[in-house]
Amino acid sequence: MSPRRAFHRLLALVRFGRHERELNGEIQAHLELAERDLRASGLSPAEARDVARRQFGGITQMQDVHRDSRGLRWAENAIKDARYGLASLTRDPLFALVAIGVLALGIGANAAMFSLVDALFLKPLPFPNPERIVRVWEAPSPTSVNSATPADFLAMQERNTTFDALSAETLTSATVTIAGEPTRLEGRLVSATHFQVFGLQPFLGRAFVAGEDQPGASPVVVLSHAAWRNQFGADPRVLDRELLLDGVPHQVVGILPPGSFDRDVARPGDGPAAFWKPLVFTPRQLDASEHWLNPVGRLRPGVTIDQAQADMLRVRAGLADVIPAWKKDWSFRVEPFDARLIDDTLRQSIAIAAIAVVLVLLIACANIANLLLAKGATRAKEMAVRSALGASRGRLVAQLLTECLVLCALGGLAGVLVARVLMDAAVPLLPASLPFTSEIALDWRVLGVAAAIALAVSLVIGLLPSLRTPPDSLTSALNTASRGSARGTERLSRAIVVSEVAVSLVLICGALLLFRSLHNLQQVDIGVRVDRVVTASIDLPLAAYPDAERAAAFYAALAERVGSVPGVERVGLSQDVPLGGAGGENLRVPGREGQMLVGFKRVDAGYFETLDIPVLAGRGLRPEDREGAPRVIVINQELSRQLASRYDVTNPVGAKVTLASPHYDGGTGRVEDLIVGVIQDERISRDLRSARQPAAYVSLAQIPQRQIKLIVRVADLAHVMPGVREAVRQLDPQLALARIETMEQIKTRSLAGATQPTWLIGAFALVAALLAALGLYGILSHTVSQRRQEIAIRVALGAGPSRVLGDVLRRAIVVIGIGLTIGTVGALSLARVLRSLLFNVSPLDPIAFASAALVMAAIGLLAAWIPAARATRVDAMTAMRTDT
Amino acid sequence: MSRDDTSPAKTEVPYGTLDLLILKTLDTMGTMHGYSIARRIEQVAEGLVRLSQGSIYPALIRLEQQGWISTRWGVSETNRKVKFYALTRAGAKQLQVEVTNWENANALVARFLEAKS
Repeated sequence: MSPRRAFHRLLALVRFGRHERELNGEIQAHLELAERDLRASGLSPAEARDVARRQFGGITQMQDVHRDSRGLRWAENAIKDARYGLASLTRDPLFALVAIGVLALGIGANAAMFSLVDALFLKPLPFPNPERIVRVWEAPSPTSVNSATPADFLAMQERNTTFDALSAETLTSATVTIAGEPTRLEGRLVSATHFQVFGLQPFLGRAFVAGEDQPGASPVVVLSHAAWRNQFGADPRVLDRELLLDGVPHQVVGILPPGSFDRDVARPGDGPAAFWKPLVFTPRQLDASEHWLNPVGRLRPGVTIDQAQADMLRVRAGLADVIPAWKKDWSFRVEPFDARLIDDTLRQSIAIAAIAVVLVLLIACANIANLLLAKGATRAKEMAVRSALGASRGRLVAQLLTECLVLCALGGLAGVLVARVLMDAAVPLLPASLPFTSEIALDWRVLGVAAAIALAVSLVIGLLPSLRTPPDSLTSALNTASRGSARGTERLSRAIVVSEVAVSLVLICGALLLFRSLHNLQQVDIGVRVDRVVTASIDLPLAAYPDAERAAAFYAALAERVGSVPGVERVGLSQDVPLGGAGGENLRVPGREGQMLVGFKRVDAGYFETLDIPVLAGRGLRPEDREGAPRVIVINQELSRQLASRYDVTNPVGAKVTLASPHYDGGTGRVEDLIVGVIQDERISRDLRSARQPAAYVSLAQIPQRQIKLIVRVADLAHVMPGVREAVRQLDPQLALARIETMEQIKTRSLAGATQPTWLIGAFALVAALLAALGLYGILSHTVSQRRQEIAIRVALGAGPSRVLGDVLRRAIVVIGIGLTIGTVGALSLARVLRSLLFNVSPLDPIAFASAALVMAAIGLLAAWIPAARATRVDAMTAMRTDT
Repeated sequence: MSRDDTSPAKTEVPYGTLDLLILKTLDTMGTMHGYSIARRIEQVAEGLVRLSQGSIYPALIRLEQQGWISTRWGVSETNRKVKFYALTRAGAKQLQVEVTNWENANALVARFLEAKS
């Protein structure tokens, strides 16, 4: 077909009416002329009309051929069917509203879930050629990774042949005075080539140039776009200004583009990275063996990760003679940058939530299919007549499909609105757990998926009624009572509801298992007081506190001053809050082989008391344990247990051990410590599922640190913070209190990874159960209204209301029962998917399964009650008289 | 005009040639309306063909969509608004093409019919 013809055919779609009118006009004109000529040749007017018509040929057939010639038949049919579908929907607004509403919920929820999955897993990272960005780790074993030392990193950087750029990254923070107020900002120390790795062009100004990460370079800093907007009012003149970071003037040289690094959060609860500074190594850092750098690099074009891995192995082999003995078995590992962006728990939670929401959609579709089946039964006659008049089966199916398409298109449009609402509601709750590279948006991809879902749903729903065998002949179809539905329809409807009940049960089981797990997690003993405890973070700038003595003096003064604030009961200082992690150092028992990696936490004398951590043996730390006094440590019960089992140290109090411990200005030393006490375990790791960790507590005064946490037990949370802030300000007006949180909030945050998915899946399960109940209600309702005559007869013959009720309920119980059975089998086989998410709950937990079955049965029976009650009120006389 | 148009000796218009007949008619006779075209084809065929007169209209719209004939509105002999069809330049070219095709097809069949063994 030529393009010109195609164009005209398309045009004919919109000119349908005009073409029809013109053709009719031409036919009339033709017949008139023919009649005139025939009359002229002697025929009577009546004969002339007859002959003219006969000579013309079949008019309606010709009009049909004309339509085929000039237009796109299938498109015209589709438009006609769509109009008809729309009209039939408006004739039954209740059905339309329910169907569109259910569809909107199902499609909208799925579209919203897809936007999440898309943002996390499918969309590429927002950098040019993101597949070339990799992380390089030191690997103590084939399955674990570790940060790198400066010496190792420099070797990687200088000796590689496969990287365009390799940069080291580490966390830092600084106090910046903005509008008179000292504010703590998080930041990153990076190599000068860092932004080349990510292919970022600055939004304003420039990135770092080579050499700015060498000693002696003048201090420069780059800001994130969000920080520039929020803290500096998006003022472009900030590039001319110097910024005081911890009192040291830095030149602001560039602003990053929006989006890429605006939400880079190192740990949950941290603020996003606001600034980047060049990383300058001190000589001491270059010699030391602390692992604190995270290298990230960009591969050369054409280089694969395997090639880079081989290259790094080669570099490491070249370092063989300078590597200390205890690291001999380590290696270097190259991984894609996004390999560790999303932890496994989050990945699994999202996968399960996605499956759940698809199941909800399936149940919603099943409901609508049932609704359409019921409607379809009343159209059987219409279909039979049309079939007899010549409509092919394909044409009838096409018509039903188009009507479904109209319904699903409307449902899809409404679904987009639902998705928008869901995303707006959910997005503020999520970002804490999501990597900074993900951007959740209702973009074209999501809309495309919503459209695809609507299409798929319409196909499934539309083709399902066609599965019914059509009646054998026109007469049999016309003869069935007008409101009767064929046996086949009823069976299909019941099968659909049975499957709805089964799928709902699977979801409810899953939700209950997750709730039990959540409950168990909430019961985990953290080992510290959570009630009325506030924490805050303080960073001592190196310039103002250059040595250990200054820091220790500050701690003592701080504890005293804050302790005297009215409303404060107890004060403690620590390097980390409970559930905030800890350092790790190697502990050795003198005279014995081997060493243990233990948690390492610096705390002051008030820490244990403030958090109500009981001392089980010996003593806690005291103010006397300061610089100059003998080095002491307090161990926790788990460490005591492990010392006993591994080194036969039965009474740890009074024993001596050697512990590697960091110096104030970097570097580590090995010190002999005396164990003076054993405390009950507190939870160190944020992950409540993790096993107990052995830990050693040293005195903060003996090993000071610049970043500390202030922990305050108060009488009343609301009113005490201003006083605490004032106390700190009086000590040092340049210090800012950051990350002020209560222990309650910290605990809640650590549970968030389990709480959110659990409630989400619980919500899905509830929706699914309600939809299944709706489905059950629907078919029972339909059955009751179809069988009114039958019921009426039985009532007239003496059946009491309880008998009628019982009959309907029995039907319901059969459906529910079969559904529960199938559902239980399904849940049993699927529950193992949840295994890794469950805490102290078996995926086959009988209580959860039994409760789920009870819940579903209860909801089902409740749904069945209404039509059952209606059945008892059937008025025998009126029912038998009417036909419908 | 014979009343008897159901004679078995008459044949339907061979498939695909209606276009050629219409184009040739317009080429010979100039601008005509639908009825005239149908009558002219019947006259030239001299009763050899049984043409449902109405069947030219689908052909006409097809030819119009191809750009081989153009239409304008005019008034019929019975004072009714009716379409007048005329051959376009492209149509004249297409006519040549169709004539050539027809003659080639004829020659091919003739050769086969004459071929001995």
